[in-house]
Amino acid sequence: MFGHLKPEDFVNLIEGGALPAKRKSHLDSCSRCGTKWTSMLAMHAEVTSLAADIPEPDWTEFRSAVRDRLLSRSMQRASAMRRWTGWSMQPGAAWALSVFVAVALTTGAFLWNRERTSSPAGVLEPLPLHPAVESNDADTVKAVWSQTALFDELVQLGDAEEEQLRQMIASAEKGTPYRQ
Amino acid sequence: MGRTVTASMPMALGNQDADAGLVERYLAGDTSAFDELMIRYERQIYRVCYRFVENREDAMDLAQEVFIKAFEHLPGFRRESSLKTWLYRIAINHCINHVKKQSHEFVEVAEHMSSVRPLVHAQLEEKEQREHFRRMVQHLPPKQKAIIELRINEQLSYEEIARISGRSISTIKASVFFALEKLRKLVKDR
Repeated sequence: MFGHLKPEDFVNLIEGGALPAKRKSHLDSCSRCGTKWTSMLAMHAEVTSLAADIPEPDWTEFRSAVRDRLLSRSMQRASAMRRWTGWSMQPGAAWALSVFVAVALTTGAFLWNRERTSSPAGVLEPLPLHPAVESNDADTVKAVWSQTALFDELVQLGDAEEEQLRQMIASAEKGTPYRQ
Repeated sequence: MGRTVTASMPMALGNQDADAGLVERYLAGDTSAFDELMIRYERQIYRVCYRFVENREDAMDLAQEVFIKAFEHLPGFRRESSLKTWLYRIAINHCINHVKKQSHEFVEVAEHMSSVRPLVHAQLEEKEQREHFRRMVQHLPPKQKAIIELRINEQLSYEEIARISGRSISTIKASVFFALEKLRKLVKDR
């Protein structure tokens, strides 16, 4: 045999549909399905009876309220847009402008960054060392320091550094190794 | 039976064509199309809203919000469904959201009403029973309630309700069954 009626069967019955013969005979013989069917029919009738008393509004007033609210909302949106942009703008145009600004900023930042990293001038290459700095040869150091350029550098040195440099020159002249 | 179906089909298609024409006119800036669209659907949408809130002012407010939402989104209406289905869908979703937000207030009102009940005279008992049943309908889960309203009171077909809710016809029928079952239990427990 088959089981009790399915929810869909009850609903089809309520809607005035017919059940297949086997199901119909089950409904007639099954007290559980019979009770359920009777109570569902009663509930359906109760719900249907509620439909009658709905108070109607004034439809002209209703329509004009919808129109006014639509208008006021569109004006609010327009004024909000003006507050942000300073001038009247359609939402679509505002979106397009903001997208354009975002893209421009991103592209600009990307290009600036790329230029900075790839440009030869931008790369911090080690400055060529003076040959004297690389060499410990006392004569070479002496020769270098005796050049006029040395005075330019001396002018830029602090007192302690200047004293240190003098000692280095003196020890180079004597031919003794410089000790700090 | 078959005659009814074949007779109603061209009418439904005619309504859809008329709706499409009105939408076009409204979007082109014809203000008279606004009134015509409202007149076609205001009563149906208001009735659905009323059954969710059971008072005129709130129902009017909800129905107005439904139309505002619809008119604002009309340019994006893709016409995959009829305007009627689309409007009902907006209304049902809006009402369900409203009921969810206000659910605690419904409980308070229901409690207040039940405390008043013993004071009602005998001759008002039938009216009171109807009111009580109405309150029980309010206690149905919002989606079941929506389906019951659309089918039993608005008399939409199961196909239409399936399109509005995005569910299968079997699911809609099962929902009607379970809603009536729940009401039966509520009446029994009263």
